[in-house]
This record gives sequence, structure tokens and C-alpha cells, in this order.
Amino acid sequence: MIVVLLPFLAFLVQALLGKKAKSGNIGLLAIAGSTIMCLLGVFMEVWHSTTMSQRWEWFVIGKSPFHFGILLNNLTVLMQLLVCIIALPVHIYSRAYMKGDEGIHRYWMYLSLFCFAMLGLTVSINLFQMYIFWELVGFSSYLLIGFWFTRESAVQANKKAFLVNRIGDIGFLIGLSLLFSHFGTLDIVDLFGTEGVFMKGFLNDGSWQVVDKNTLWITVAGVAFFLGAMAKSAQFPLHVWLPDAMEGPTSVSSLIHAATMVAAGVFLLCSVFPLFNDTVLLIIAVIGTLTATTAAIFALGQYDIKKILAFSTISQLGFMMVGVGIGAWDAAMFHLTTHAFFKCLLFLGAGAVIHEMAHLKAHYRLDIDPQDLRQMGGLRKYMPKTFILMAIASLALAGFPLTSGYLSKDSIVISAYEWASHLGGGRILIPIALIIVSLLTAFYIGRLIFKAFFGTFTHEEAIKEPISLHEAPVAMLIPMVFLVIGCLFIGYSLNPLNYHHSWLMESLHVNMTFTVVPLAHTIIPVFLTVGTLITWLIGWKWYVKKAYPLQAESKWILFSTRQGYLDEFNNRVFVQGTEKLSLALYWFDKHIIDGATKLLTRFTTGISTATHWIDKYIVDGFVNLAANTTYYIGHLVRHVQNGQLQAYLGFAFTVVVLGILYLIIR
Amino acid sequence: MTIEEIVFYAFALLAVTASFLVVNLRNTARALFLFFVVLFAMAGLYLFALADFVAITQILVYVGGVLILLIFAFMLSNRELLDDLQNTSKRFISLPNWQSALLVTAFLAIMVYVFHSWGKHLPHWISEAEAKGTVILPTDNTVETLGFKFMTQYILPFEVISIFLMMTLIGAAHLSRKEDNT
Amino acid sequence: MITLTHFLVVSACIFCIGLYAVLAKRNAIMILVGIELMINAAILNFVAFGKYDKENYGGQIFALFAIVLAAAAVAVGLAIILNVYRHYKTINPEKIHELKD
Repeated sequence: MIVVLLPFLAFLVQALLGKKAKSGNIGLLAIAGSTIMCLLGVFMEVWHSTTMSQRWEWFVIGKSPFHFGILLNNLTVLMQLLVCIIALPVHIYSRAYMKGDEGIHRYWMYLSLFCFAMLGLTVSINLFQMYIFWELVGFSSYLLIGFWFTRESAVQANKKAFLVNRIGDIGFLIGLSLLFSHFGTLDIVDLFGTEGVFMKGFLNDGSWQVVDKNTLWITVAGVAFFLGAMAKSAQFPLHVWLPDAMEGPTSVSSLIHAATMVAAGVFLLCSVFPLFNDTVLLIIAVIGTLTATTAAIFALGQYDIKKILAFSTISQLGFMMVGVGIGAWDAAMFHLTTHAFFKCLLFLGAGAVIHEMAHLKAHYRLDIDPQDLRQMGGLRKYMPKTFILMAIASLALAGFPLTSGYLSKDSIVISAYEWASHLGGGRILIPIALIIVSLLTAFYIGRLIFKAFFGTFTHEEAIKEPISLHEAPVAMLIPMVFLVIGCLFIGYSLNPLNYHHSWLMESLHVNMTFTVVPLAHTIIPVFLTVGTLITWLIGWKWYVKKAYPLQAESKWILFSTRQGYLDEFNNRVFVQGTEKLSLALYWFDKHIIDGATKLLTRFTTGISTATHWIDKYIVDGFVNLAANTTYYIGHLVRHVQNGQLQAYLGFAFTVVVLGILYLIIR
Repeated sequence: MTIEEIVFYAFALLAVTASFLVVNLRNTARALFLFFVVLFAMAGLYLFALADFVAITQILVYVGGVLILLIFAFMLSNRELLDDLQNTSKRFISLPNWQSALLVTAFLAIMVYVFHSWGKHLPHWISEAEAKGTVILPTDNTVETLGFKFMTQYILPFEVISIFLMMTLIGAAHLSRKEDNT
Repeated sequence: MITLTHFLVVSACIFCIGLYAVLAKRNAIMILVGIELMINAAILNFVAFGKYDKENYGGQIFALFAIVLAAAAVAVGLAIILNVYRHYKTINPEKIHELKD
């Protein structure tokens, strides 16, 4: 509990202190405390032993109570420790990287919030709680991407990230509701634990029933959860937010978009793994492969350091997805762990380079983009330590032997090959694709290293005086050194070549459905290593010696630079489509609905006019008629009194005559 | 038909015709002269009722007084008066005002009817007088009797009438005096 | 035989003619003439009934009085007509209607 709550407290305190807390010590202390606690208190206790869990009742809907609580099993404590260990160096690094920035108090606030959300996500005991933290993670990443919100591109980027994440969240929610409606509980232990529903069956009106995993709704639920993971872990085609998310500060990119948040998707899939049936697993594997391939292609043509690294993240996430899809989610988790270390290191190193380039720009008032790869070159002379650290990280990414990356990546590739050869059919394409992607990975990371650190500095001719590019500050270097330890094999396994013996794999052991092919264990790593060396040689020739076979503006390069025109496609189809739809609805509303309303008003007005007419002419007409008749009669009778003598006499005599007549006749 | 009846009918017819013409003529002067004829015919009728003194008095007073007065008043009146009168219809006889004609005819009808029913059933005192024979005979000396009656039985009304006559004449004279120029 | 009825009928005729003159003529002098005719008819009536009144001679006496009164009436009537003419400048009774409603 304390592990989770410490960053949250830091967030609150930071928010309250506001602008005064500029040094970020509070957040740093919090995360350090969390790490130590996690390591000593939690990890040692739970790892490789029984699962611990704790629940508290939260609220009740109808008959079903909702709990919130903490689940501590191998998977969750591993993730927890990973988050803490990666977050700690990033905090230290940020102190130096973000120094002098105006909004630094906000930065610490958001960073602490993110750590709290991530830690909360890892220890959630039921899916609803995980969903809350999932959303919170997305929200804090939105805040951090748009940290420099005065930049238009940053604002667009964080909007895009949030929207794409929302699409994934819908999937998560659908999966949640399906599970809840069928099983009545969202508890992870109840559902997926060893005693849980999927393993043993569930209580249905008093009798145990084994869950049939091939029904349609299970497939739909599986796909829904995978959709959530797709958005968070940037699978094709929902990966479009990750390259644009590089608008945030580099330290943020290293923490969130390399190591932790994007790994949350893989973590989710591993948590709900018993839910997936074969169809879903195949879908996951296929999409993972597709992601890995397309991302690697896109990474080849990018010029921005951070974008190259972003695409490489996407590609490696594809690898992890393939690991889940073939059923070897322990390999996926292994790769996630190692990837966290070396990707974070790569980002931090890139951040150091960018920091120095920005200083150069300010100092010499050059009109360059500090992140542009084409402006760099020969930085090996000026920043040697950074160069060494980044080189090691690159080797890990490429899967060179003696690094941790070799172990994890090869585990996935070999497992894929075994799985494909076990099940046969077209599935052999997947390992082949993975091999090709590994080679491409080596190529583009080599390109980055060569272009940045080898050769001559592009601006040496432009600036006559000696350049004052210096090494990254110590505060930046120390975290990077800390991370590099995780890149080497030693942390994971005593045997640098065989991944099965790593302690991580042994603890997360999963029953494989396919047999082990020993031959593959040797051939594939050898093949990959040789291929990597060859690609590096080619890269050396091209970039350092500047012997390009392709023109810079050729169609292939443009295709990969522009990310396969995916953004334009999205824009055309979704954005403009939605705009047109809303215009149509507006027209409909304005003309038809308002027209109906106007018709109604006209009708009512007509009725009221008719009523008014009736009232005025007919009703009033009667009254007026009566009045006029009376007046007319009076007018007539008035003429009796006309003042004429003879008329009076006439009337008098008439009466007399009538009287006499009456008397006579009577 | 005796002579008496023929003469009576002649006088009666003359009186009625002349009076009819009097009221229907447009020309007022001619109407007044016909009134003269009416009065003479009335006097003749009085004679038939054995009231010779009344007939003579009628001629003296009415014809010689009233009629002369009317004619003088009419003739000596202003030109505007004459013009105003003569500006009415140019026809010889004017159409009667139908409402009054109707009224008059009704009245006449009533009276004739009444008188006819009287003829069948005369009042009590008339039939008694006829039976007793106390009717005025043509051989009576009415003048002497009337004079006698005036001075004894009817002297009060006689004096009152004379004063009354004086009053009216003075009043009429006063009414028609010339106004001072104010 | 000249009965009472003959006289009465004649007097009724003359009376009605006089009445007509009073009601229908548009000349004030003709109205006076009408009045005279009515009075004459009344006198004729008196005289006709007076034939049967030997002891009092009432009919004839009264006829004489009536003649005198008729003359007085004419005199005053003419004076009034003169005044009316002076005021209204007309003697058409239809034009003299200030008493109207």
C-alpha cells in the first residue's frame, strides 16, 4: 500500500506547493522511498512464493459488491518493481534535464501522478480498479505530452494520444462488461487465478461448469481486451499517437513511452491471459507481427532521433505481442523487462544529445532542430561517455550476444519458430517476419549511432571557432550508468546464451503447448547475430562513408518517412468524415427539425389567426349586430319625435281611431 | 224625393265638394275663396235644421269677419311668405298625404257607422221629444226666443264670451305688433 | 225625410275633410282653414241636435257661442302665425321642428 501511496502523496504535496517546489526533491524522495520499499518489502516476500491479496469492500451495485484491493503475485510485483526502478533514474535525470524550465513544478506534479497511477494499475485486484488506473495513466500521459502546451504541435499530439487511447478504452470497457455479465465478478484472482473460473469452472446454479473457451462471446471479450492493449501499447493501426507523443520532454518519453505505460498493455494481456482462446491468440500474434514490421520500415526513414526510438518501441511492442499470441507470455514479460532498461537508456542518451544540441543552437544562434539527426555527426569526439552508453543500449536492442536483449528477443523468436513448426501451416510466416524485423532493427539503430556519433560534425565548417560541445552533466550520466547494468546479461541469467535459465523465466513459467526444438535454439541465434553484423557493415558503409545507393528523395524513403501515409489516411477517413457527418446532421437539424418546428408554429399561428378572425367577425359580429339593430330601431323610432305638429296630431288621431275601433268591435 | 231633399242634397254636396277642393288646391288664394262658398253652403244647411238665426250669424261673422280676416292676412303678407308658399308643387291638385288620408277615411268610416247605428236606435231624449212633440217647428220665432234666452238663462256665458272675445282680440293685436329695431 | 242622420253624415264628412287639412297641409294658413272647417262641422252637429230641444234652445245658443269663439281662434291663430314667420322665416309646419328629439 505504501508503495502505491507514496507517489500520490508526492503529487498532492507538489500540487499544493505550486511554484515554490522547483527542485523536485519531494517527488524524488517519494519515488526513492517507493523503490526501496518495493524491493525489500514486497518483492522479496512475494516473488516465487504464494500469492498475497487483500480486499476492501468499496460499493455495492444491486447484489454484487465491488471491492478494491491489492493483488500481489509474481506478475504484479515484477511490474511494480520495474516501474519503481525505471522511475527512479528518470527522476534524477529530470532534475538536470528540465533545469530552468518555467513549468517545472507542474512537471513534478504530473510525474508523481503518473507513478501513482502506474503503480496502482499494477497492483489492482479487480479489473474495474485496473480500468480506473488505466484511465488515470492515460490522462497523466496526456498531461505530460502536452507539457509545453504553448507549442501547437504539442497540443495536437496530446489530443491525438488521448483520443486514440479512448478508442482502446472502449475495448477494455466492452471486455469488462462482457466478463461481468457472464461471471458476475471482475476479480482477477477469482477469474484467472489457479483456483479461478477459467481454470476450474464456475458455479452455475449449483453445479460446476467448465468454461467453454470457444464461444463467441469469449472471442469478442478477448478481442475487446486486446483492443485496449492495442491502443495503450501502440499496435498497428492504433500506433499513430506514439511518434507524435515525442513532443513531450525526453525524460517523459523515456519513462512513459519506452518503459512503463506502453508496457501496461502487455501487462493487461498477461493478466487476463486465461481468457484468450485460439482465435484471439492468433489475431494477437498476427497484429503483433504486422506492427513490428511496419514500425521497423517506418523507422528506417526517420530523421528525428526521438521518432526513430519511438518506432523502435512500437516494433519491440509488436514482438511482445507476438510472444503473448503464441502463448509464451513469460517470454513477453521477459522482453518487456529488458526492453524497459535499454529503451529507457536510449531515450536518456538521446535526451543528453538533444540537450547539448539545444545549447549549441542557443549559443551560436543556429537555425537547426536539436533533434534532427542530419545536423549531428561525429559527436563521439565531444560526448564519449554518452556514446559508450548508447552503444551498449543499441547492442541490447539489436539482440547482440552478451546483452540482455539477446536473451529476451531470441526467446521470442525461437518460441515463435517452435510454435509455428508445431502447428504448421502459414504460421511459419510469423517467425520469418520476426527474423526480418530483427535485422531491420539492427539496421536502423546502427544508422542512428553512425549518423550521430561517427563521421564529422556537420557544423564544423560553419562555425569557425572551437565548438563548446561538452559532455552531458553528471546528473544525467549517473542514471544512465545505472540503467546500463540492466542491459547486460548478468542481471538476468548466468548463462549468456540460454534464456531458459534466467530466473525471470523460471519463475513466470508457463506451460508451453508446443515442443521445444533444440536445433532452432542454436541456429536462429547464430543466424541473427551474423545478420546483425552484416547489416551494421552495410550501415557503416552507407552512413559513415556517405555512400548512399538510394537518393534521399526516392519513393521508398519518403514512404517510410511519412509513416506510410497513415496519418493522411486517418485524417481523410475519420476526421473529415466526421466533419462531413456533423455538417449533414446540422443541415438535417436546421432544415428538417427546425422546419418541422416552423411548420408547427405556422400551423399554430394559422389556427390562432383563424380563431381571431372568427372571434372578431362572428362573435363580435353578433354582439355588434344586436347593438346596431337596437340603435337602428331607436333611430327609426326617434323620427316619431320630429317636432312636427302634424305628425304628432296624426299619431294622436291614429290612437283615437284605434281605440274607437276597439270599442266598437268589442 | 221631395224638393226639400233635393235642395238639402244640393247644399250638402256643395259644402262637401267645396271643402274637398279647399283642402286640395295648391293655390291658397283660390282655396280661401272656395272656403267662402263652403261657409255659404253651411249656412244653407243650418236653415234646414230650422236654425235661421245661426245661419244669419254665420254669414255675418264667419264670412264677413273670419274669412275677410284670412283673406286680408293672406293678401297683405310678405312677399317671402307668398313665394315660399308658391314654391311648392306646380300641380293643380296635390296628392294627398297617404297616411293622413288613411286616417281620415278610417275616422269617417267610424263616424258613419256610428251614425247609422244611431239611426236605428235613437237616444232616449230624442225619441221622447219626438213623441211629445217638443221640437222646433218651422213656424217658431227663434230670434225672439233666442234673444230672450240670452238675457235670462244664458247671460253669464254671454258676458264671459264677450270679455273673452275682447281679450283675444287685444291679445292678438299685441302679439302681432311691430317689434322695435333691436 | 231629412233625418238627423243626414245632418250627422254631412257634418262627419266636413269634419274629416277639415281633419285632413290639419294633418296634411304644409301651409299654416291652410291648417287654420282646416280648423275652421272642423268647427263648422261641429256647429252643424249642434244645430242638428238642437232641433229637438225646444225648452232650452241649447243647441242653437251654443252654436252661436261656437261661431264667436271660432273667430277669436282665427284671430289669435293668425297672430301666432305671424310671430312664427318672423322667427322661423317659414310657415311650413314641417320645417318647424325645434322640439324634436
